[in-house]
Amino acid sequence: MGKLSHSELIHLMVQLGVMLAFGRVMAEVARKFKQPAVVGEIIAGLLLGPTFLGTFSPDSFDLLFPKTGASAIVLDGFTKVAVVMLLFIAGLEVDLRIVFQQGKQAISSSFFGLIIPFFLGFIIPYSFPDFFGDIGTTNHLLFALFMGTAMAISALPVIVRIMMDLKLFKTRIGMLVVASAMVDDIIGWMIFSIILGMIGKGGEISIGSTLLLTVGFATFMLTVGRGLLNRLLPWVNKKLAWPGGLLALSLSLCFLAAAFTEYIGIHAVFGAFIVGIALGDSEHMSERAKEIVHQFINNVFAPLFFVAIGLKVNFLVNFDPWLTLVILVIAFAGKIIGSGIGTRLGGFTWRESLAAGFGMNARGAMEIILGIVALENGLINEKVFVSLVIMALVTSMTSGPLMKWMLRSPSEQ
Amino acid sequence: MIRTIGLAIAFSPTAERMLSEAVHLVHKFQSRLVLIHVGEHGQEEEALIQKMLNHHDLSKESVTLRWEKGVAAKAIIRACDAENVDLLIAGALKKENLLHYYLGTIARRIMRRAHCSVLLLTQPSLDHSDFKNVVVDAEESPLVGEAVFLACQFASKEKNTWVHVVRELKLYGLAMSASDQCSEEEYSSIRQGLVKDEIEKVEKLLLQVPHEGLKTNIKVVSGKSGFELAQFAQRKQANLLVVCAPPRRFGLLDRVFTHDLEYVFADLPCNLLIVQPRKELQHG
Repeated sequence: MGKLSHSELIHLMVQLGVMLAFGRVMAEVARKFKQPAVVGEIIAGLLLGPTFLGTFSPDSFDLLFPKTGASAIVLDGFTKVAVVMLLFIAGLEVDLRIVFQQGKQAISSSFFGLIIPFFLGFIIPYSFPDFFGDIGTTNHLLFALFMGTAMAISALPVIVRIMMDLKLFKTRIGMLVVASAMVDDIIGWMIFSIILGMIGKGGEISIGSTLLLTVGFATFMLTVGRGLLNRLLPWVNKKLAWPGGLLALSLSLCFLAAAFTEYIGIHAVFGAFIVGIALGDSEHMSERAKEIVHQFINNVFAPLFFVAIGLKVNFLVNFDPWLTLVILVIAFAGKIIGSGIGTRLGGFTWRESLAAGFGMNARGAMEIILGIVALENGLINEKVFVSLVIMALVTSMTSGPLMKWMLRSPSEQ
Repeated sequence: MIRTIGLAIAFSPTAERMLSEAVHLVHKFQSRLVLIHVGEHGQEEEALIQKMLNHHDLSKESVTLRWEKGVAAKAIIRACDAENVDLLIAGALKKENLLHYYLGTIARRIMRRAHCSVLLLTQPSLDHSDFKNVVVDAEESPLVGEAVFLACQFASKEKNTWVHVVRELKLYGLAMSASDQCSEEEYSSIRQGLVKDEIEKVEKLLLQVPHEGLKTNIKVVSGKSGFELAQFAQRKQANLLVVCAPPRRFGLLDRVFTHDLEYVFADLPCNLLIVQPRKELQHG
């Protein structure tokens, strides 16, 4: 087994220490401005990466984050593990019961909240591929399909936080928005996995096989797999040390499922996401256990991942204002119109429906994860990635204020 | 209130005990009793019923007898509708095997489909059950006031009778994980605020329900509500669990993706009262 040399180990430890410390400092700054931590962590990456440090002090940047060598590979491994874990907790957050409770209203809201942004996100890049910088190495259709998916997903934790701040979390509209976001995320990640499968990184797999494997894996895990986990967890809780046993089992299943989906040609994140849903839906996975998993991943691995985003891409060089503007317009229009219509059909007033649309518009961390996976798989170029990250940050930052404005009382109007 | 009580009766070993429980409730609520039997109706059955009625000093005239034919669950529900029954009493196994769970037995079908409140007795007694430890699910439902009211009504009037009101804290884990960018003080304040909101809702509810002489306890649970409710009822060794009827009829999908009351229905932790809207409310 190969190992890191003395100097490489020191290098890696310094990298991790600097990234975590800088990420936390910037997250605290973001917190002061009532913004999500991810905004600060991305900015920390920009300051440490080629955008700032690499531009103003290239030698320091190369010394701290060399592009080659063992420490660079291990750091890349860390960020890959982080992204898998982030999708795992995204799955844990999905509560199928809430979705079922909302019934037809959730179906209508999530359907339109998915289909309209997907359509807009698909048709415009499909019609004007050159403007979007279709990188040509991949199928033109796949690029447009990805853009559609990128517009369709949402960021559940950001939405929940906004709902809590606005005291809407426990209300009918709050539960509907949360349930719809859960449905959109499940379907969005399934579509994305199919697209990744169609690129064929895992070898020669036909579209039919990819579709079958993705849907089959998800169906199996959410029915039979979920049932088996439900029988295993009481034993784990009773016989093994708590929470050590449960954490070890959860993360082990997460990585094994990630390895399986990566092996069959759909990305590792999908396996982690589906296992997260299956585990999170078990009545034996206590809220306390979920909280521990969340805190561990959100405060250690998430900052590493989001800071690393800024290390990979030069945001200044790749910033295209027109492209960013168009992506922002598509993102806002698609979600607000789609979710607005869907919620209105669910029996809410236009004002409440548009507020739900603004809430669902937050893309947050999920969009950035989707973007980096697409970038690494050659689906998009760096310019599109930068625009997607900006869109994710802008939608997350504006979602709360816009929702508040839409739901302001008559006296405030 | 409960003006008519229906009892689904079969000539099984528990029939006597079921009748004893029904008679006790008939006296308690001063209701009319309707006995519903699905199956053969001959001299032998008449004699058996007469014997049971005699045992409880009931005349045939004071009780309405319904002899029904057809699919048991459907026939019982039909008879309840015809007799305007407010509360149907039926016996139920605590737990069913896997096949029965998915296909449903008579008791499970009744509790999922009846239009009136249903009391399922898992261990009926000849001395009638004394509900000294009642757990009521105070979920977000238009029927929650009625459920808490009935829980207090069914509770024994003896000393040291407890009514535990259980309230679910929805999406607690998600709410707390979305609050992870707070200071320790803010974090614990959010946590306490979430619990306090739910306790206040239950306290408001209890103010509207007469519960003199009863000891009340408010319990806030998070996680899968039906599962946590059943677990709590078991821990407290409750002898009656009161829940609101689900807003829609549960189907097979609800049993595959088990949620809410299906956890309770699948493995009854104790006697179960499923509350439906009162008839006068149903008819405006």
